[in-house]
Amino acid sequence: MSGNRQHPEPLLEMADVSVHFPVKRTYPFSKRRWIQAVTDVSLHISEGETFGIVGESGCGKSTLANAMIGMIRPTAGTVRFQGDDLFALKPRAFKAARRNMQMIFQDPFSSLNPRFTVYDIIREPSYVRGGASEAVMKSKVLELLRLVGLDEEDLYRYPSDFSGGQRQRIGIARAIILNPKFLVCDEPVSGLDVSVHAQILNLLMEIQQSRNLTYVFISHNLAVVKNICQHMLVMYLGKVMEAGESDAVFAHPLHPYTKALLSAILDIDIEGSRDRIILEGDIPSPIDPPKGCRFWQRCPFAMIGCETIPAGLVEVERGHQVACHLVSGFSSEQRAAGLDQPVSPQPGG
Amino acid sequence: MTDTVLEARNLKVAFPCAGGVIRAVEGIDLVTKKGECVALVGESGCGKSVTALSIMKLLRTPPSVSRIDRLQLGGRDLTHLTDREMERVRGKDMAIIFQDAMTALNPVMTVGRQIDEVYRRHAKLARKEARKRTVSALELVGVPEARSRANSYPHELSGGMRQRVLIALAFACMPKLVIADEPTTSLDVTIQAQVLDVLKSMQQEHDVSALLITHDLSVVANMADTVYVMYSGKIVERAAVKELFMDPLHPYTHGLLASVPRLSDDKQGFVQIPDSVPHPMRKPTGCYFHPRCSRSSDRCRQRMPRLEALENGRQVRCWHPLRQERETPS
Repeated sequence: MSGNRQHPEPLLEMADVSVHFPVKRTYPFSKRRWIQAVTDVSLHISEGETFGIVGESGCGKSTLANAMIGMIRPTAGTVRFQGDDLFALKPRAFKAARRNMQMIFQDPFSSLNPRFTVYDIIREPSYVRGGASEAVMKSKVLELLRLVGLDEEDLYRYPSDFSGGQRQRIGIARAIILNPKFLVCDEPVSGLDVSVHAQILNLLMEIQQSRNLTYVFISHNLAVVKNICQHMLVMYLGKVMEAGESDAVFAHPLHPYTKALLSAILDIDIEGSRDRIILEGDIPSPIDPPKGCRFWQRCPFAMIGCETIPAGLVEVERGHQVACHLVSGFSSEQRAAGLDQPVSPQPGG
Repeated sequence: MTDTVLEARNLKVAFPCAGGVIRAVEGIDLVTKKGECVALVGESGCGKSVTALSIMKLLRTPPSVSRIDRLQLGGRDLTHLTDREMERVRGKDMAIIFQDAMTALNPVMTVGRQIDEVYRRHAKLARKEARKRTVSALELVGVPEARSRANSYPHELSGGMRQRVLIALAFACMPKLVIADEPTTSLDVTIQAQVLDVLKSMQQEHDVSALLITHDLSVVANMADTVYVMYSGKIVERAAVKELFMDPLHPYTHGLLASVPRLSDDKQGFVQIPDSVPHPMRKPTGCYFHPRCSRSSDRCRQRMPRLEALENGRQVRCWHPLRQERETPS
């Protein structure tokens, strides 16, 4: 696969990663079925960048993030962090690598233990890791509290005393106490009030600059991704639809799904009346997903071949890949078989 | 003036509780016209859902205490109606669409039965006749194979479909007013676009007045005709949608609009409003927004400004609205 040639040593690299979960059998001898949460995803994340993952719920973006930091073992493929295969490491080495990868969760209400004080929550990673005295931990926690914009008096209060935005700040402090290199932000602002979004995003950006962190930023808000990410991935039903430098993807989106996603976001500029593509139907189930292109049932430009032939990622320009038959085209035999004839889109599942 | 559908004057709702009184809604006026979509925008905790519920008279008196000077719907006075009388109004003359369809629908009844109920109760139709109407109501909101889907239980439908069922339920008797409380917040963007489309076409085709309650300004921009902006239980600004987005007068509205990231701009970083919404039990003195406002003065700290009426129906509650400077040509 292609990649980012300017940075030969990516911080994190995933090669053909698939994560499938078994579905509980309905009958003792029925065939085992799998939820294909993530299928054949490859990516490179270089040091210091922000990498965006975009998609609707159920498209596998959180599963992919969990596989990245070693919380889920992929069914196939490899994850390399700083050159080491994460899942081939010995437990001790894995733990050491894992220290460098932390996560910020979406829901600041359920991700903080309500019975822990702020101090307990923030110091916990450092406590678990061991080797720091109480005094060292306390001064570290205080420093972090100030960094994320909370007061020293807040140290012994409980999460219930704080608003959503403040809780997310606590979550951020907890994530960076071990000085990680790599931080996964899984929808960090979507549980918060609109007027607080900007505060948290700006805080994350400041921390990234001062600590030289690498972010994976999962979001369904394309406008945010456009503003902060250098590279991005558009996922649909577990597969990558479009990937590349975010400037290139936003400047000329090529995949019909990316286009639909972009046009479905309601903008607040009320003057521009754009032609909106409204997709028909719902996202199909990731159990037994469509055989060919995963998007074909809802695609307004679907061709007959899209139903059966999977579309591979093709590099259309430097640093911009798309998985779509419209872009890559069919071979001459396939065209002869009439596979490039348009089908009228059928309402999906 | 006859095209006024909903008129609520001086609505106040408070919740007395252990540590004091939470004043959720502090004297707001709302007016919607026939065929108009009015949006009530605000962050969580500003009192917008409580407003919706108390207009429907769905708030129980303990724990809440509410009073309203006048509540009129299509010329009829609802101010002093009893619960029993309100039952005949709800579902027929006004209806509500809730945010979370999974909890709004009865999980042990098929969706068809739930819509049938509206027809049987309000239109007094027989079972078969009601089902016929139900199927056509489901078809109207774009539920495919409506006849068989009517026999599904809520959990068998997807989120978008459930929301459509709620819309069908609300529009079943073609009420005068439909209140939509965060109708698409729990949906994905592509599904949100579908559902909003359905809602808008239902509202416009049947000339129903809608009160859209949301925190999402992009939804407002695409749906509403008139917008009320709420902050900490008070209306801070009212304007036609275009004027509000082009030329916000209240610093809070301005801040909200600026903080929404747009696809069209390339700036790095995000404009932020400092601090967060005050706790409803510890509201500041004077203007509730002054601790977060960049334009606040001594006057803002001491006295709450009045909701000032301006030209063509605009209203703003601010001592230092943004217009003043803009009038001097730059």
